[in-house]
Amino acid sequence: MSRISKNVILAVLTLTSSAFLLFQLYYYKHYLSAKNGTGLSKSKGNRVGFDSMQWRAVKKFIMVTSSQNVPVFLTDPLILGLVSKNFEQVKNTSHVSTSECQFFCVPRDFTAFALQYHLWKNEEGWFRIAENMGFQCLKIENKDPRLDGIDSLSGTEIPLHYICKLATHAIHLVVFHERSGNYLWHGRLRLKGHIDRKFVPFRKLQFGRYPGAFDRPELQQVTIDGLEVLIPKDPGHFLEEIPHSRFIECRYKEARAFLQQYLDDNTVEAMAFRKSAKELLQLAAKTLKKLGIRFWLSSGTCLGWYRQCSIIPYSKDVDLGIFIQDYKSDIILAFQDAGLPLKHKFGKVEDSLELSFQGKDDVKLDIFFFYEETDHMWNGGTQAKTGKKFKYLFPKFTLCWTEFADMKVHVPCETIEYIEANYGKTWKIPVKTWDWKSSPPNVQPNGIWPISEWDEVIQLY
Amino acid sequence: MDDWKPSPLIKPFGARKKRSWYLTWKYKLTNQRALRRFCQTGAVLFLLVTVIVNIKLILDTRRAISEANEDSEPEQDYDEALGRLESPRRRGSSPRRVLDVEVYSSRSKVYVAVDGTTVLEDEAREQGRGIHVIVLNQATGHVMAKRVFDTYSPHEDEAMVLFLNMVAPGRVLICTVKDEGSFHLKDTAKALLRSLGSQAGPALGWRDTWAFVGRKGEAECHWADTELNRRRRRFCSKVEGYGSVCSCKDPTPIEFSPDPLPDNKVLNVPVAVIAGNRPNYLYRMLRSLLSAQGVSPQMITVFIDGYYEEPMDVVALFGLRGIQHTPISIKNARVSQHYKASLTATFNLFPEAKFAVVLEEDLDIAVDFFSFLSQSIHLLEEDDSLYCISAWNDQGYEHTAEDPALLYRVETMPGLGWVLRKSLYKEELEPKWPTPEKLWDWDMWMRMPEQRRGRECIIPDVSRSYHFGIVGLNMNGYFHEAYFKKHKFNTVPGVQLRNVDSLKKEAYEVEIHRLLSEAKVLDHSKNPCEDSFLPDTEGHTYVAFIRMEKDDDFTTWTQLAKCLHIWDLDVRGNHRGLWRIFRKKNHFLVVGFPASPYSVKKPPSVTPIFLEPPPKEEGAPGAAEQT
Repeated sequence: MSRISKNVILAVLTLTSSAFLLFQLYYYKHYLSAKNGTGLSKSKGNRVGFDSMQWRAVKKFIMVTSSQNVPVFLTDPLILGLVSKNFEQVKNTSHVSTSECQFFCVPRDFTAFALQYHLWKNEEGWFRIAENMGFQCLKIENKDPRLDGIDSLSGTEIPLHYICKLATHAIHLVVFHERSGNYLWHGRLRLKGHIDRKFVPFRKLQFGRYPGAFDRPELQQVTIDGLEVLIPKDPGHFLEEIPHSRFIECRYKEARAFLQQYLDDNTVEAMAFRKSAKELLQLAAKTLKKLGIRFWLSSGTCLGWYRQCSIIPYSKDVDLGIFIQDYKSDIILAFQDAGLPLKHKFGKVEDSLELSFQGKDDVKLDIFFFYEETDHMWNGGTQAKTGKKFKYLFPKFTLCWTEFADMKVHVPCETIEYIEANYGKTWKIPVKTWDWKSSPPNVQPNGIWPISEWDEVIQLY
Repeated sequence: MDDWKPSPLIKPFGARKKRSWYLTWKYKLTNQRALRRFCQTGAVLFLLVTVIVNIKLILDTRRAISEANEDSEPEQDYDEALGRLESPRRRGSSPRRVLDVEVYSSRSKVYVAVDGTTVLEDEAREQGRGIHVIVLNQATGHVMAKRVFDTYSPHEDEAMVLFLNMVAPGRVLICTVKDEGSFHLKDTAKALLRSLGSQAGPALGWRDTWAFVGRKGEAECHWADTELNRRRRRFCSKVEGYGSVCSCKDPTPIEFSPDPLPDNKVLNVPVAVIAGNRPNYLYRMLRSLLSAQGVSPQMITVFIDGYYEEPMDVVALFGLRGIQHTPISIKNARVSQHYKASLTATFNLFPEAKFAVVLEEDLDIAVDFFSFLSQSIHLLEEDDSLYCISAWNDQGYEHTAEDPALLYRVETMPGLGWVLRKSLYKEELEPKWPTPEKLWDWDMWMRMPEQRRGRECIIPDVSRSYHFGIVGLNMNGYFHEAYFKKHKFNTVPGVQLRNVDSLKKEAYEVEIHRLLSEAKVLDHSKNPCEDSFLPDTEGHTYVAFIRMEKDDDFTTWTQLAKCLHIWDLDVRGNHRGLWRIFRKKNHFLVVGFPASPYSVKKPPSVTPIFLEPPPKEEGAPGAAEQT
């Protein structure tokens, strides 16, 4: 009998266990699918027509924003891409109702819009109305980076992103804020603890992985798929900006700590230098922008930005970097026209090019051209007296935007690697005597220019 | 199914036919030991696996929950967060808190326990008679106050009323009687108990036992569910003392929607409100600011010097942007650093702005404040010789200001509601702003010649701001009474300013010369302090000449200002040795002779007035002798 009961118990337990296991398997599957964020994309099999969820969500969203005067414009890369391909068609059919839904019905998880925060008059009512219309909205706020540069201010948080979901489609509204330097900035989308991480597949968002900076776009009203929307006047330019829009903030906190340790130089001379260096930088930026040449803060100017968020008063010059493939022959002339005569020119386009321009008040503008190799970048130096060549090696880097001297300028995204290559691990300690031929840890001799070439590669004015 | 063959051993047992399939199976297995063993081991293994899987699941869930708790503190990148997400999270996980309160009332013992913890137990003989009151924090259940009022004895009920009134609304109140508490429980106290929601308390009889648990101010107002009222509710749940903002019936509005200003030139000019910890002032100030015609609330930023909560609550009540500032340095330097941070922040927040309006928390703002600025702001753009536009006339008292449409140019910087040009701030002031170790007043510093560099400010005759602050860093009641209380403040909406372009540098000189030409020279033999110095006319222009040897000789002016009861603590409101005020509804010009370039207008026969300054310190011992 005991044997029987033992068997019975075993069998019952086995049964319950398998039930449990089945349940767990089911649960695990459910959980996995949630984790991969396939929640929204399941319903992709919709037909391309005006009843698609995407189109309906966009339509409702535009209804809410236009009735509440929310200043939005379309930034969705996918749709803007389609629009810019068929730009003529979009412009021409502006008021004719189109028979086929070509743009907003394209299957996708999100449609991205930008909100121009500074034009927004009444913030409060909008959210509620959107929710009444069936949207489920998520608001992501964070602190205002425009206050970071100022000692010890903390303010009301500003909205950075809104995500409004209508059934299976979500509208990603990226809040663009005005920054000093006439550009628009949007924040990073960070999920705080209490936010439902499964709300939408956040990974698929086009904006928000990093903060971004954009030129203030001119807008125009067009009718796309029967919906009136604002889009950038030059969608192509805007689309080009998107992949390179990553923005990094100056490290204000560390800069304050640095200035506390080493004290800022507030003498009249230092102020005067900062002022003229800033003006020179602004002038150079303007000139290069006109030519369409990308540049970034290099050497001392980059160190000043990274270490103390300002110009190092004893640096005596402004240093910029330009990729040699961006070089244009009219650059010297353009600077001359801007009132910056050429001071010297070292090297040639094929090798070690370096230009120096004379700014006002004895401030010099140095432009170093960077050459790309398979595993590193380098720029060259030339000693005028001896014709010796030097090479400064940098690890490969990409460019990011930042704000400096009331401007949106590029710096290497991998700033710390860049600076450590140039100034070593001790870049945090101010050094006033610096020999460009021997002090940088990344300098190496690079032979000597043949005397026959000296006339070309060493030009002093 | 096909291979299955009924066992010949079982079939004959017809009586056992009803036995279940299980037994059949079992019997079959008993005969096959090896198979049975195998099944048993299989089952045990299976069980083990299940147990392990279960344990793992429990551990995983644990970890997920603890991580969830962790990341509620610091925020993190959503990528990482997603990667670590382990289980679906409960939403709205803070349940409504329930407090378990136990109260005991009797002749010899009172006892209160909250959530099982005894917080009051009194069974001592001949002690603790009366009503025991305990105040609990409504959110945590912590005891915030514990009192006993022997309302058997006289006047104890008054103390109780006082105490109960002081308790913040929302708190949980627990009352219980020990022995006797009704004898001297008067009507005021009973009414209060009734208003708190007690039914038996007001009818408490001799040696009754009574216990009461309630929440103060629980009778929450039923305001309509609007965004505005949500702000109001949040505000009223936190602070008190703001009049009828929190009244249930007809509360004071917190949105004013004043008329928009046609062709408003200052619609996009940011407004910085500099505030400290005077929330009641800030409340009054913001009310008047938001009621002014042409205000755009989204351009307003309130900068609070310090991490004070209440001013921030006031800012939130009106739905404005508030920024707190960690105090740097002390006294005047602290204010000055606060100003600097606020101005820098304003221009950072509104990078496109060319100007900023700077206000302080102790100012009333005139209804036509923005209209005044809208009509005059182009001057700041067009005239480089201007330093600021200010809404404040230092000399504009009830008896010396008359014409709301009239503007002046003055060499002093009045502050108290003014417009700052961005280029002036960014290029000149910000770089050399006094550092924290310099204990300077920011406004005194701005008035210094190094900063002002001969530039002037535009002011109205009748001020568009009113300084009501009585407590402040440089302010006290007496000082306020003497110098600020009787200041004239414009209350007329939509005043059209007269001839604004005549305020430009050259045009103003022409205007002054015209004024001086038509002005009647007063009788200089009379006492200028007397009212009879000016004839009893209306709408005339008069001029008087006072002695002023050099550009910085203000001896006579100061004495004149003193006897006219206007600002005499330093020189204000002058323009090249000329002061313009109103007396008895007449425009009254005072020219300093011979320092002022307008001295040429003095008829040769007139001797400029000279007023002796009172004897200085050496007079003091003499006075002491007399007493």
